[in-house]
Amino acid sequence: MTPDIFGESMPELLAAALGTLRMTALAFLVAAGLGLPLAILRLAGGAAGRLAFLYVEIVRGMPALALLFLIYFGLAPLGIVLNSFTAAVAAFGLNGAAYLAEVYRAGIQAVDPGQREAAQMLGLRRSQVMREVTLPQAVPVVLPAMGNYLVSLLKDTSIASLIAAPELMLRSRDLAGTYYLPMEFYLLAGAMYLIMAWPMMHMVRRLERHFARGRLRGGGT
Amino acid sequence: MSACLTVWGLLPVLLLGAVATAEITAGAFVLAALIGMTLAVAQRLHWYPLRIAIAIYVDVFRAVPVLTQLFIIYFGLTEIGIRLDPLPSAIVGFGINGGAYLTEVFRAGLESIHQGQMEAAQMLGMTRLTALRIVILPQAVRVVLPPLGNFAIGLLKDTALASAVAAPELMFRARTLVDKTFLATQIFTTAAAIYLAMSLPLGYLTRQAEARFSRGRR
Repeated sequence: MTPDIFGESMPELLAAALGTLRMTALAFLVAAGLGLPLAILRLAGGAAGRLAFLYVEIVRGMPALALLFLIYFGLAPLGIVLNSFTAAVAAFGLNGAAYLAEVYRAGIQAVDPGQREAAQMLGLRRSQVMREVTLPQAVPVVLPAMGNYLVSLLKDTSIASLIAAPELMLRSRDLAGTYYLPMEFYLLAGAMYLIMAWPMMHMVRRLERHFARGRLRGGGT
Repeated sequence: MSACLTVWGLLPVLLLGAVATAEITAGAFVLAALIGMTLAVAQRLHWYPLRIAIAIYVDVFRAVPVLTQLFIIYFGLTEIGIRLDPLPSAIVGFGINGGAYLTEVFRAGLESIHQGQMEAAQMLGMTRLTALRIVILPQAVRVVLPPLGNFAIGLLKDTALASAVAAPELMFRARTLVDKTFLATQIFTTAAAIYLAMSLPLGYLTRQAEARFSRGRR
């Protein structure tokens, strides 16, 4: 790769990386927002709980790519035409909601039931118990897992290049094709993902360590 | 109705793709497990340069999207004269990528065994390697099984990305059929259902194995 090619493509790649970050942030918000009600419904049981369970199991059982194609290509014949960026945010958001629902559920279940019972004894309403007693204590379990999800989401947005959504991988493919320098541009794209993901990975690792402090390491056997 | 019949007629093609999906998954899983196990044990040998190299491999391959890695292997390597077919490049790509994840999984498995066990085994006159093989590894299996199962399920779904390098797996077949018939909704729904039909039993098996190995334990 000559310096001029590099100089010409770098601004484009940086703009595309911004698209990646935007897509990641929006999908994360959708996933985090939808995941919590899903988890609470699932734990509450009943018909709604079974529906939430079904949603989580089905969405987690299929590739994100399949969901992306279903939303982008599969909804068009039904008259729902989304642009590629919106379709990508919707697909990753809906996919992530199923994952985060499981994360929230694990976090809520990790809180000792005695806490809930005690809070109810003190006369707190069910919603108050959830909001003020259970959820805050679920944070040590939930936060690192959410961080891990965010890292994998950042990388997964590269899949959106397959429906031509404006992000880093799409731009790299365009440039790799234009200059016929696939190795250079894909390595460059990889390096840019690394620069974005690596600090996040380490923050998550520190979070994990922070919350694991005080717990015993190593099995007894 | 006619659309339903058409999809029914296309099912054999999709199932053929599902076989390739299973092949890529199995091949990449074996490769990833071999890499992961080797590197996790190698990390324990306390040879500093090797540990650094392994740590870099694990971090880099986990921080870069697997799609980018596939493109480097399939398109990038042609530039230096290495031309792999889609199927092998998918197996190699997912295998090397998965190796980074499984190194971490196996490392956690090994670390979960109390240090005293290694010390006791060495006191009994075993070398570090023998102690790993006879004492530590069999116990680590229990810890490693659930994440290994989750990895297999994740891998099965990730292989859909191999369609981007034209490996003839399920998603690729589905995309080609959609291009020919324009039945996007039906075909992609069917493909998703086939993935579900493959991943649900895998999940069930994982939970079974998990229950079996954790029996009698806290």
